Amino acid sequence: MERNTMKYKVKQYLMFAGVSTVLFCAVVILPFIYGLYLTFTSWDGVSKEKPFVGLANYIATFQDAAYWQALGRTLIYSVIAVILVNVVAFFLAYLLTSGIKGQNFFRAGFFVPNLIGGIVLGYVWKFVFNRAFVALGKSLSVGALSTSWLATTNGAMACLIIVSVWQYAGYMMLIYVAGFMSVSKSLMEAAQIDGCTKTQATLNVTIPLMRSSFVQCLFLTITRCFMVYDVNLSLTKGEPFNSSVMAAMHVYNQAFSYKNYGTGQAEALVLFVVCAIVGVTQVYIGKKGEVAA
Amino acid sequence: MKKRISMAIAVATAAAMMTGAAVPVMADDVNITIFNSKMEIQSQFEEKAAEYTEETGVGVEVYYNSDTVSAHLATRYSANDPYTISMVDPKDIYSLAADHAIDLSDQSWVNETDYAIGVDGQINGFPTCLEARGLIYNADAIEAITGETFNPDDYKTLDSFKELLEKLKEGGMETPTGIMKEDWSLAAHFLAEIYEEQPDVEAFITSLHEGTADLANNEKFNSLMDFFDVMMENNYAKDSAIAAERETTEMMLAEGQIAFLFGGNWDWSVINAYDYTENMGMMPVPQNTDDGSNEKLVGGGSKFMMIDSSDATSDEQRQAAKDFLTWLADSDEGQSFIAETCALVPAFSNNEKEVSDPLGKSVKKYADEGALIPNYNYLPDDHISMCGAIFQKYLAGQVDRAEFAAELENYWQNTTPVEH
Amino acid sequence: MDENKKAAQKKKVTHFITMAVLVILFLAFIFPFIMVIINAFKTKGDITADPLALIGSHGFILTNFTDAMKKMNFATSFTNSLMITTISTIFTILLSAMTAFVIVRNKWKACGLLFSLMIASMVIPFQVLMIPLVSLYGGIFGVLNSRITLILMHIGFSLSMATFMFHGAIHTSIPLELEEAALIDGCTRWQTYWKIVFPLLKPTIATVAIIDAMAFWNDYLLPSLVLGRKELYTLPIATQAFYGTYSTDLGLVMAALLLAMLPILVLYLFLQRYIVEGVTSGAVKG
Repeated sequence: MERNTMKYKVKQYLMFAGVSTVLFCAVVILPFIYGLYLTFTSWDGVSKEKPFVGLANYIATFQDAAYWQALGRTLIYSVIAVILVNVVAFFLAYLLTSGIKGQNFFRAGFFVPNLIGGIVLGYVWKFVFNRAFVALGKSLSVGALSTSWLATTNGAMACLIIVSVWQYAGYMMLIYVAGFMSVSKSLMEAAQIDGCTKTQATLNVTIPLMRSSFVQCLFLTITRCFMVYDVNLSLTKGEPFNSSVMAAMHVYNQAFSYKNYGTGQAEALVLFVVCAIVGVTQVYIGKKGEVAA
Repeated sequence: MKKRISMAIAVATAAAMMTGAAVPVMADDVNITIFNSKMEIQSQFEEKAAEYTEETGVGVEVYYNSDTVSAHLATRYSANDPYTISMVDPKDIYSLAADHAIDLSDQSWVNETDYAIGVDGQINGFPTCLEARGLIYNADAIEAITGETFNPDDYKTLDSFKELLEKLKEGGMETPTGIMKEDWSLAAHFLAEIYEEQPDVEAFITSLHEGTADLANNEKFNSLMDFFDVMMENNYAKDSAIAAERETTEMMLAEGQIAFLFGGNWDWSVINAYDYTENMGMMPVPQNTDDGSNEKLVGGGSKFMMIDSSDATSDEQRQAAKDFLTWLADSDEGQSFIAETCALVPAFSNNEKEVSDPLGKSVKKYADEGALIPNYNYLPDDHISMCGAIFQKYLAGQVDRAEFAAELENYWQNTTPVEH
Repeated sequence: MDENKKAAQKKKVTHFITMAVLVILFLAFIFPFIMVIINAFKTKGDITADPLALIGSHGFILTNFTDAMKKMNFATSFTNSLMITTISTIFTILLSAMTAFVIVRNKWKACGLLFSLMIASMVIPFQVLMIPLVSLYGGIFGVLNSRITLILMHIGFSLSMATFMFHGAIHTSIPLELEEAALIDGCTRWQTYWKIVFPLLKPTIATVAIIDAMAFWNDYLLPSLVLGRKELYTLPIATQAFYGTYSTDLGLVMAALLLAMLPILVLYLFLQRYIVEGVTSGAVKG
């Protein structure tokens, strides 16, 4: 058979994935390797010399208590945010594919938060937490609301989680909606004819078939939460008392503000490894049981 | 479907080719780029650059970036695409000049200023302006209650300042002060004064590193923190000082709902967005001391321009850049651009243009009298972040003064001294 | 009869509750956006004084929009953004769908390796690649300050996630039988892919198109590294002119944001039809 020859395989691969492979390697892999090299230097980011220092940056990474604190904090934040984002997103997608009136309008509305980024996002939410909530708390005399959450350590963390859910739920909803849509209606109907209730049909037919949507959404939220930076910067800037500095922000400060580029790069790589282990394990487990059509 | 896809590919390819059209570069003309790190003057700067190009034929383009100065420049150096002129902070001159800047000591403007800086005995940084820190006041708000003309010289001591605050409170202004909780304000602006007002700053910093300094019993530390406590006590956002927003605080000051705020003359660019009064100014931090620091603002040259030394910049460009700096310092037009158009305080003695904003006027007055305590430009890079966080705890009431002092001492002992 | 009535009533109640939950959530989600809209028409002073007021004390103003357009050099930046986003999105979709197809349908080692690398690469913090990227393509090859470079980089960075999404879609919802039938009918792999597989991917194509177009349109960091000349600026870079450490003109920023997000909103509303269409056409059957 022609299909088993090496020549055929190479031709097929190049035809379908050749350009992708080249671009991907050029843009991601090459710089990554160079970046890896930089972790073995004590470069400050701006000088012309890049002295080779061996493993010194990795030793500094392991001794940097603030980094591990930030990483631990990021872990807690990620676990809570990932669960909440996906629960909300799945719930929304479920409701918005059930044929409810105005579902297109709702879908657009829930998606809109994605389009607000950067400093505006920080400003708007600061207002909500600092003033809208406080005014509400004072008028209803709810103690927990009457001072700004952003002023306390746990409060700032809660704020970050709330904003992340707000930002990503609409995005993930989109993927879940696509997932719901790709499960054919006739399968659902068949299940219902066989005596399943709608809930049973959803649980037993739709959800297993949507496994790839779950894998995708979980992976995306895990990685995004692990590397949260924009929201962190614009909402809390690490305040109060540097208690809301997440790993990516610490890495950025280390590399650029404190001018320890090599150490920052090494810390970023450790972050990458941790995140890759969690993310890839999740995908592996998820894909393993995937139902093929 | 296939047809549609090939159409899409064709369109996309055609468009891709169009986008490749090279950027027009005038071969004969010299073009220079300027990195401006002072956002509030960006539009004025761009307009002036266009005029300059028209008059001289030298293309000048002004760029701004909101990222940290050193981070942004790091990417430009890595890309071998540096700006001809970069406007940076003093600490960037010290870290960048050796590798990236040319010597300007032979330039005519060097003799007209005390504020130019450099490394290795050279002059690398052209001081764009003077900036100083102190206590900003709204005289209208004060006079409306006291009924007398406000003269800042009457409130040099903390005791007299406290009396004034009491008077304001009795007159109906319940909370006459505001505090900026930003780490740069607390650590780089206020806390830095504690170092800068020491009799021997270098020796003091060394003793902090070595752990021999006793902050809790240090005269300047206590004197300035006494002032800070008074500000905290009368802060309009006392309940949640850590959540106070700078825009709101500055608005309240501009409109006279509060009367005092510790800051610098750059704050004018925020204040002037609100219904401000011209009757404002800056005064020294009131302290019960006789070392003279309560008669001076703290500050000096700020935002230094340096010219790139790399191969990516041609000698013609470097000459054009030098000409531009000379024009900025010496020409009538350049001088009026700094003082009048941008409302900056000139750093050159031959620039006698009137400064156009009230805070700048105060700075100019103190600078002319020689009453500026110089900036200390060698604080470690993580000082803002680390000590800012420690200071915020104090502001939030989580630590008392002794604990605050201990945490600061701990920071200094675990930090590598900055070589200079 | 009674049973039916009861069921109908129960359905009505469920529907009402669903609707109420949706409306409440909707308001919570949309509230910050409404704030952006009302504040874009106010002066900076009025925004700080009372962000919730519908109209500031200086009245309803449009100058934020005119100023923002002028300062951002709107026409040029808009054209740049549009060109870069469109071309990058089209090529990302075409390339990644093809890549995903060859990965899903073949158990070759090269495919497995590529896919693993791609998945792992999605976890790389961009800060790690930032300096090496500009050192390589600026310092060594000198190809920065070009739209084509940016487009190729956009594609390179977004391929991983797009491939990942198409991988899931092809794996679960494209029946192998259809392809085998086409192959038996004499189609080549290439023809089968374009005639059978690609059209069936419509819902995923629409999803990826929205996600990537949005990412490209709003991206600031990568374009700011690649495009260092004003005439090449995209909208997000141009908007930076309004941000400062010591002062930020929020009215301008919000007006600029609204101006910049409209095209994406239109695209979303347009593509949403395809996500729905993917099902109603009933093409995907087991």
